[in-house]
Amino acid sequence: MNTILILLGKIIIKISQLLNLGSGSTWPGHVALLLNSKFIEQIIDKNKKMKIIVIAGTNGKTTSTALLKFLLEKSGHKVLTNNEGANLLNGVASTIIRNCDEFSKLNYDYAIFESDELNLPLLLNKIVPDKILILNLFRDQLDRYGEVNTIATKWLSALKKLDEKTEIFINGDDPQLYYIGTKLSQKVQYFGIDKKLMKLKDVPNDVDSIYCPVCLSMLKYHELSYAHLGNFYCSKCNFKRRDVFDFSKVKINYPMKGLYNVYNTNAVLLLLGIQNNKWLGQFTPAFGRQEEIVYKNRKIFLLLSKNPAGFNQSIQTVSSMVKSKANFLIILNNRVPDGLDVSWIWDVDFKPILEVANNIIVSGDRLYDLNLRLKYENTKNKIEAFEDLSKAIETIVNKTKVGERLYILPTYSAMLEVRKILLGRKLL
Amino acid sequence: MKINIGWLYPDLMNTYGDRGNIITLNYRAKMMGLDPIVNKISINEPEDSISKMDLIFMGGAQDTQQEIVNEDLKIKGSFLKKAINDGVPGLYVCGAYQFLGKYYREANGKIIDGIGAFDLYTESSKFGDPRCIGNIVIESKLFPKIKLVGFENHGGRTYLADKNCAFAHVIKGYGNNGEDRTEGIFYKNSFGTYLHGPILPKNPELADYLIKKAVERKLVQNVGVKCDRPFKLKNIDNKLENKAREFVIDKL
Repeated sequence: MNTILILLGKIIIKISQLLNLGSGSTWPGHVALLLNSKFIEQIIDKNKKMKIIVIAGTNGKTTSTALLKFLLEKSGHKVLTNNEGANLLNGVASTIIRNCDEFSKLNYDYAIFESDELNLPLLLNKIVPDKILILNLFRDQLDRYGEVNTIATKWLSALKKLDEKTEIFINGDDPQLYYIGTKLSQKVQYFGIDKKLMKLKDVPNDVDSIYCPVCLSMLKYHELSYAHLGNFYCSKCNFKRRDVFDFSKVKINYPMKGLYNVYNTNAVLLLLGIQNNKWLGQFTPAFGRQEEIVYKNRKIFLLLSKNPAGFNQSIQTVSSMVKSKANFLIILNNRVPDGLDVSWIWDVDFKPILEVANNIIVSGDRLYDLNLRLKYENTKNKIEAFEDLSKAIETIVNKTKVGERLYILPTYSAMLEVRKILLGRKLL
Repeated sequence: MKINIGWLYPDLMNTYGDRGNIITLNYRAKMMGLDPIVNKISINEPEDSISKMDLIFMGGAQDTQQEIVNEDLKIKGSFLKKAINDGVPGLYVCGAYQFLGKYYREANGKIIDGIGAFDLYTESSKFGDPRCIGNIVIESKLFPKIKLVGFENHGGRTYLADKNCAFAHVIKGYGNNGEDRTEGIFYKNSFGTYLHGPILPKNPELADYLIKKAVERKLVQNVGVKCDRPFKLKNIDNKLENKAREFVIDKL
């Protein structure tokens, strides 16, 4: 049965490539799962030697998957990953179809599957990973994923059901995720960051888990890094962070900018072994995430910014990179992969960008919402709005001197559009 | 003129970008020539701080946060109810709106008492009924020339004792309960509503209404106001606000 599904899937991939219907990253899997709902677990079961790693979290999945893959390949392993945009069950199934032979054989040492928030419990119902990495949990696309607490509850029950042998790696600076870790019987290891990097004074606005998961009192922090991440403790009960590996005694040359990428890198190193840090310098970020694209001799720095915590981290990162002044293009779409609701832009603090911005152009499906948001920061900056994205890009490029760096901050679907315009081809 | 804006539970009732309402009130009050002061009132602040406010705002949140706030409202609730009955203008969105009703009935039948400032009750959606999620367009008799727009995302269904007290009529979307086309409540100078978006930036008429009511109350009561009447508020250019609103409505 599965042999037929695999061959059928491979044919679908070929046809969709020939007809230029996209790369077929979800359809073959969709069809296979429709005809055999146990397709994924049956194929995985036939490849017992292949180790499976699952990566979940709101932000940093794609970056961490790419880094983990890179480091594993550096030490000579063959690694299978599901392409970004394919982090639902049908995407996992499609990845399997694309990469296995007709005898269901996957010729890889490791498979890394990234999973979106809602799909993690579904995926864990099907496969038992050797290791799971949980990066963070922030508010994101509330109209699609629901509230953070609801997701946390689902994750906890899914993780509880897992095999005792599964090793679990959790962000120990996230109070709610740390709490999940304390409720599990498996071996749990916590990663964090050096407290010297935690410089935030007050609890910011883009937070969800700032009360004690045990007694519901407000948490306190010895140090705060960003959003609700930090060295937390409850002053009412004894809930606090313990045994978090913070990498303060390890010298690491981080390959990407921003505090969030210190977390991503530390997470991967804890999972894989710290000795792997020697290869870090050679790593180039995944597309759209701090990706540098040269276009008409301007250096375009592209930073996917898709929810309050992520956007605020992008803003912190770029404002620290700009020496004097720079040009910005910010794009707000509200299609299905972005979330339909754009209320979240009011949880983003744009001030640091406005302070270092020369020209600012806004574009995207909801450009006037974005324009209004920036206006209400009481800015003196002149902000221009272009409904046509190509025109927005051309205008901001023309305003940028040759050789200078230009910053583009898009939501997810906008990031794909920007890359298509800049690189002249479709990627996903 | 100083305007004290009370922001209730900013650290807890803040899941859906509702901070934008505070940013808008603060920005527009300044543009009008007022001197707004935003006072954050959360569980550690004394309950009578509510009594000193000229304008009150409270947003929506997740269940656990609401549980914490519900405990605190057992103390602060009577002060909030008195402020509302005294005509202090206020905006209460989503979870906050539900709290101000008589009660909330959970799916398992459990009743959670509200503070009873508004004559309404809310029921959790019946098993299998989806949350009310999506863009919403409404019209209100208070603002006859415009349509207001926002985004709603709520599980609870709210029923008013008197439908004539509704804030608005639903043109597109669910509103209070998805059945009777009512949206929100308008009582004294207070508004309860399900509209996120947030509601005020793209519907500046409502923001200005709240600010003007706060100014009027101060003038009438002449509480600590030193100014020569008539008090004139500066006009604000709403070109971008209107453009943002019309652009969204046109797409729906």
